[in-house]
Amino acid sequence: MTMRAHSSSWAAVVWVLAVLIPLAIPNPYYIHLVETIMIYSILLFGLDIVVGYTGQVSLGHAGLFGIGAYTAGVMFMKLSASVWFILPTSIAVTAVFGAILALPALRVSGPYLAMVTLAFGTIIQILINEMTFLTEGPLGIKIAKPVLWGEKLTEREFYWLVCVILGLALIFVHRVLRSHLGRAFEALKGSPIASDCMGVSVYRYKVYAFVVSAGLAGLAGSLYAYSEQYISPNTYNFELTVLFLLATIMGGRKTRSGAIIGATIIVMLPKLLDDIELFRWVASTAAVVIAVGAVIGLQKKFTTPKAVIIPVVGTLALAAFSYQLKNMTDWRLSIFGLMILFVVYYLQDGIVGFISKLGHLGEVESTSLRETDSVQASSDVAHPSTALGQNRNHAVSAVSATVPHSIILSAQSVLMQFGGLKAINDVNLVIKRGEIHGLIGPNGSGKSTMMNVLTGIYIPSAGQIEFNGQSVVGRSSSDIALSGIARTFQNVQLFGDMSVLQNVLVGLHHSFESPLWNVALHAPSYLKEEMQANARAHDLLEFVGLDALSNELAHNLPYGKQRLLEIARALALNPQLLLLDEPAAGLTAPDIKELIAYIRKIRDSGVTIILIEHHMDVVMGICDTVSVLDFGQKIAEGKPAEVQANEKVITAYLGGSSTTEKVQ
Amino acid sequence: MEILLQLIYSGIALGMIYAVIAFGYQLTFATSDTLNFGQGEALMLGALVGLSLVDTFGMNYWLAIPVVGVFGLFQGALVERVGVRPAIKLKSEFGWIMSTIALGIIFKNVAENIWGRDDLRFPSPLDESPIKLFGANVLPMEILVIGGALLMMVLIEFFNRKTIFGKAVVATFNDREAARLMGINTSVVITFSYALSSMTAAFAGILVAPLTLTGATMGSVLGLKAFAVAIIGGLTSGLGIVVGGILLGVAETTTGFYISTGYKDVPGLVLLLLVLAVRPSGLFGKTAIKKV
Repeated sequence: MTMRAHSSSWAAVVWVLAVLIPLAIPNPYYIHLVETIMIYSILLFGLDIVVGYTGQVSLGHAGLFGIGAYTAGVMFMKLSASVWFILPTSIAVTAVFGAILALPALRVSGPYLAMVTLAFGTIIQILINEMTFLTEGPLGIKIAKPVLWGEKLTEREFYWLVCVILGLALIFVHRVLRSHLGRAFEALKGSPIASDCMGVSVYRYKVYAFVVSAGLAGLAGSLYAYSEQYISPNTYNFELTVLFLLATIMGGRKTRSGAIIGATIIVMLPKLLDDIELFRWVASTAAVVIAVGAVIGLQKKFTTPKAVIIPVVGTLALAAFSYQLKNMTDWRLSIFGLMILFVVYYLQDGIVGFISKLGHLGEVESTSLRETDSVQASSDVAHPSTALGQNRNHAVSAVSATVPHSIILSAQSVLMQFGGLKAINDVNLVIKRGEIHGLIGPNGSGKSTMMNVLTGIYIPSAGQIEFNGQSVVGRSSSDIALSGIARTFQNVQLFGDMSVLQNVLVGLHHSFESPLWNVALHAPSYLKEEMQANARAHDLLEFVGLDALSNELAHNLPYGKQRLLEIARALALNPQLLLLDEPAAGLTAPDIKELIAYIRKIRDSGVTIILIEHHMDVVMGICDTVSVLDFGQKIAEGKPAEVQANEKVITAYLGGSSTTEKVQ
Repeated sequence: MEILLQLIYSGIALGMIYAVIAFGYQLTFATSDTLNFGQGEALMLGALVGLSLVDTFGMNYWLAIPVVGVFGLFQGALVERVGVRPAIKLKSEFGWIMSTIALGIIFKNVAENIWGRDDLRFPSPLDESPIKLFGANVLPMEILVIGGALLMMVLIEFFNRKTIFGKAVVATFNDREAARLMGINTSVVITFSYALSSMTAAFAGILVAPLTLTGATMGSVLGLKAFAVAIIGGLTSGLGIVVGGILLGVAETTTGFYISTGYKDVPGLVLLLLVLAVRPSGLFGKTAIKKV
């Protein structure tokens, strides 16, 4: 909380300074430079949503920027539209193109998506060039500064307009990214499958991210058109798109300050390269700083000679090179390329990330102290509830069971075929409401495949599955999740870069109904939702004993706690049916005891459970019914004791037919 | 009709160039699940180095081809060492995408500074008067491009299937970890696949150069369209890229003639978007099953 207040007061200070610049420095050249930085920052806020939050590479943002600029230019030229009309229209038109760009993105990611966005950007540039009837082609379009309340804005007044819009964009982006929408974006980067199974549709939120991002690019583009007063197709090329990406990763992903630093770098750098003397000076300084840093690093032994040799030699070579050249401008692109390589390998978290890491090194002692304090404090509070307390029972509240022992899920003749392999072969499964239903079998018998079929990750090759009387076959994972089936994963699928609390909040995504504008305006209805979700998330974390760790990043948790967090996250969906895929794997004996207590408690609150587990004592101890799979077929079903005595089951597990040993 | 046939001929020649570059994508994708976003620049460097050999050093075109090939091998290995290997170590997809893009930009910029920003003419090694084939004109150089490209791909396929080193490549493709445990030096295999990939691109560059203009910017869009071909054909299908390449090449020459040369790049790129939106595994590729 203090951290947040801290960063927003910093933002306010920087913003006020930016507003004051034209009064201090009347030179229009510098005013225009800062204006460009601000306009790029708006675009980079948006690019960061796609790159930093959802983790996709977009090489199409120069194209989107161009669409924004040309929407403004064309409307100014053909319709002499006013700025009040042009800015919203540019945002809307570009957002539509963002949605178009996102359509292939639904199916592909990674390098494919990078190529798709690159193709998109190239097409846009070609179209701007060729559609002369609309865009005047290579001739470009001239635009005058906007007219506000009957007066044409001066350079300085327009600068202040950009300041205001930047401030609004900053608040908008910040609020959206801190909301359930931002968490959804981050979740689909962390684990797309887990997002879908938490009811956060990966498809929908990828498109959402692209649309918001494109809208901001459109806004930046239209402001750019007004700022430059002349636009031509060649601005919006591959070079610009790569520059934008460089700015995003160099400044620092997932921060607004990183976007502003990145924008400053890409605007100032070409100016810097124009001045060879200045460049020589900067290159030499960089070489000295890196060399000194390397020597210190080596002395203090937190780096190795091998790790520092390339940056040291590289910067020295660059400094030497700068004295060889008479003209740096021609080598601008190479410098950009080298900077990208440097950032990719040595500055992955960007400048902001690097600085905050340095800051953390100094703070380590104090934070760890604080942490132990809070652990102590909250474990005192949590204690009564871990002893199966009564007041916390509401943490797990299923939509109350209508009729106990009615059928909640029935699967009939389910077949799941991969090529020639029948991973599940003609399996019938009936789960009664309120039961803990065990699903066991040797490795590779099709248990996890069954889970994936039930949650819509696989579509069965044949057979019916009904949940609460409705078929789930062919429905999307997120749809199935929202209808009341939650799950955990055999190989833990947490959103590793998000905090423990945020992980559970993603599970609570379904409880948010606020649309984008309510989030941006911090409407009371949204604030109430956020507050309730937070309270509920804390309850759930307390239920599994993790509340003290709620601000820790999920991937920092020990393995056993990660599994518990997955359960808490699944419970956040308010499921009627909970699928637990090997929850005890990797847990110590006392942890397993605790887990059993949790599972019982969940069941007692009315949630039906399907449990896949290899620990037979767990299965036999708590299951009401057990089904046994072997080679994709159900070979036995019944009460735990019956199953344990079943000849077929013993054979499946132990191989021999003559043996009379019991399973465990 | 004669014009259409002629367009088809040059479309096929162009398409084979795309197929060769796409083949290069397949080679590296097969061994390391990565590809060189600067593949177009590898082609451009091949063409320009070839031009210098022929023009400045007066080397015979046919002798220049193997020299350019060797140059391509080294260039590809460099890309892998600098751009790809560290990123694979970091397990960063974003990393290799950005670093191969960065290397591509650097190569382009270096080429601009060495050979200038203007497009140059590459002297044709063959007779430049067209010959008649089924009633339409075709340039001897176009026939050379088609034959050369096919030969190149067949040779590398042969190498991969019949030699022990090729089997290591195939094994690495099937399961990198298992191949490594079987004693195959997979990182050498990956470097080698990049070297081969850039060699094919450089070879395509010197083949296509006499037909088009040669310059620092010739590579970028070519690389992108070849990716379209790789996607249309599927990243694992050899036949697919030949068919895809021809499809795209013909679409491009006919668009250029009947609509406008300004739009000639559009059909390929739109096709890329459509294929990825509808069938990401390509028209000839197999769909992979995602594992949870």
